[in-house]
Amino acid sequence: MVHNSGDHVNSIKARAKSALGNQQVLLLIVLTVMILGFSLKSPDFFARPVFANILSDWYPLILIAIGETFVIISGGIDLSVGATVGFSGVVSAIAMEHLTTAHYGPDVTLFIGFLVAVGIGLIVGILNTLMITKAGVVPFIATLVTLGAGEGLSVVFTGGAPIGGGPSNAINLSVANIFGLFSRPGLLIILLVIVLGLYLHKARFGRYTFAIGSNPFAARAAGINVNRHLAKVYILSAVLSSFAGYYFYLRLSVGAPTTGNGAELQAIAAVVIGGVALSGGQGNFLGTVLGASIISVVASGLLFINVPANWKQVVVAALIFVAVFLQELRTRVRK
Amino acid sequence: MTTPLYEVRNVSKHYGSVVALDDVSLSIAPGEVLGLVGDNGAGKSTLVKILSGAHSPTHGQIFLEGEERSWNSPHEALEAGVETLYQDSGLAPHLSVSANVFLGREEYVPGILGKLGFLAQKKMDLDAHANLERVGIAVPQSSRSISQLSGGQRQAVAIGRAVSWASKVIILDEPTNHLGARQAGEVLAIIRRAKAQGLGVIFISHTLPHVLEVTDRIVVLRLGKIVANAPTSEFDAEKLLGTITGLIDSK
Repeated sequence: MVHNSGDHVNSIKARAKSALGNQQVLLLIVLTVMILGFSLKSPDFFARPVFANILSDWYPLILIAIGETFVIISGGIDLSVGATVGFSGVVSAIAMEHLTTAHYGPDVTLFIGFLVAVGIGLIVGILNTLMITKAGVVPFIATLVTLGAGEGLSVVFTGGAPIGGGPSNAINLSVANIFGLFSRPGLLIILLVIVLGLYLHKARFGRYTFAIGSNPFAARAAGINVNRHLAKVYILSAVLSSFAGYYFYLRLSVGAPTTGNGAELQAIAAVVIGGVALSGGQGNFLGTVLGASIISVVASGLLFINVPANWKQVVVAALIFVAVFLQELRTRVRK
Repeated sequence: MTTPLYEVRNVSKHYGSVVALDDVSLSIAPGEVLGLVGDNGAGKSTLVKILSGAHSPTHGQIFLEGEERSWNSPHEALEAGVETLYQDSGLAPHLSVSANVFLGREEYVPGILGKLGFLAQKKMDLDAHANLERVGIAVPQSSRSISQLSGGQRQAVAIGRAVSWASKVIILDEPTNHLGARQAGEVLAIIRRAKAQGLGVIFISHTLPHVLEVTDRIVVLRLGKIVANAPTSEFDAEKLLGTITGLIDSK
């Protein structure tokens, strides 16, 4: 309430502490060390096709991790992102198979396939929203319901087998033909990532997301329509998942029912490593981007140093622990 | 008699068979500080909810500047110039001071980016500081997050936010709760300044010395009814306490 010299000293101390304990800086160091380490151990690692491949793993992960970032900052959780990836990919693949059989052109087919995938995303997002805001189901359970339904329906619709038979040019789109590093959909995804990052930290949409996660009562008292905003957040998350589902179709030329299984945990891992607090109201977009990057780099890097791929989960688990531990430490120091 | 600034007439509120408020009428003039006191369960918080637009009365009317109003949400009351500071729920701790001051009233950068929802953060930082200073609150940096402030500073920001936005009436529910003597004194100073600006202030508190110190008139609620409504000068601590508890029947 009053100016005093103690405040000034405290603010300098607080700044020094926050710089030392800055999760993003630490993550950037971890990422750099990992890339350096893998490159030293295996010189083949530091090559354009390898990074193009890492990026193609990263695109779908970052899409769902961003959705998860908004949801978790708003104080909720979305377990249905992985199932939405699979289900939207499968339904879109079925639609494209039918259109191709009916002799529709590949471009039209791909476009309609995209709309179908997004439509599935919208439906899942709306279902999550209705359960959470109208029926008062907690987000964990509501999205567990859509997780189960989505994964189940994917298998029911396909009989468990991948669906191909779509337009033949789909896979060309996912080729990294820009500087040998980026695919065209990949560049669009990067652009989308930047825009969403700005929306989280510079625009009203993000401000309200933080406010609701921080104190929903204050948000409501300030005149924010909390339920309407949460609807937008859950629909955004589901639609981003459907983008990822469609991206997988482009990459694999098939819609497989198991695509995206467990992806929700990877997304949550990326978000948590990035320093977003599961209690809501806190988080940083750059953290999620770095968290997802680290997970993608680890996945490819371990193969290059001849470590079985399953170790990736162990490494990610260790990273989650360290990230959460540091966060805990920071809040304790602050208090 | 001039038109009161804010008025409720014959307001009752029933929750099922429970009568929380029973035929309550009160009014407040511009530049008046009205104390609202009563024991737990007397109906204070119900009355606050009706005044702030959070609940609608079962019976009775609400008038703002002589015009009958009915609030469908606290937001409608806010827009009409009636601000409420709720007990302990005012601020988003992870957000900065200025983000809190401007919460729900954000300002945007000019041009197309502003239309897309991009915030004029620097302007809001400066304006938040100026707005808080205008009502008598100096916060070190309006870009600091609320969680970095002390309890007293937080409460000051919450009150400053409400006072700086209120154009007609401000309702303060237990604003001096959990505050030290010096900080409570500063809150009372903010109330006096709001009064000097011509706002109607409704001050709800359990801390009777604060009520006696800052109010012009006191309304005492007991079991959902108004049992006293008189200038503060007619009360002393003993009489006020007696009226609240029912040991003195002032009617």
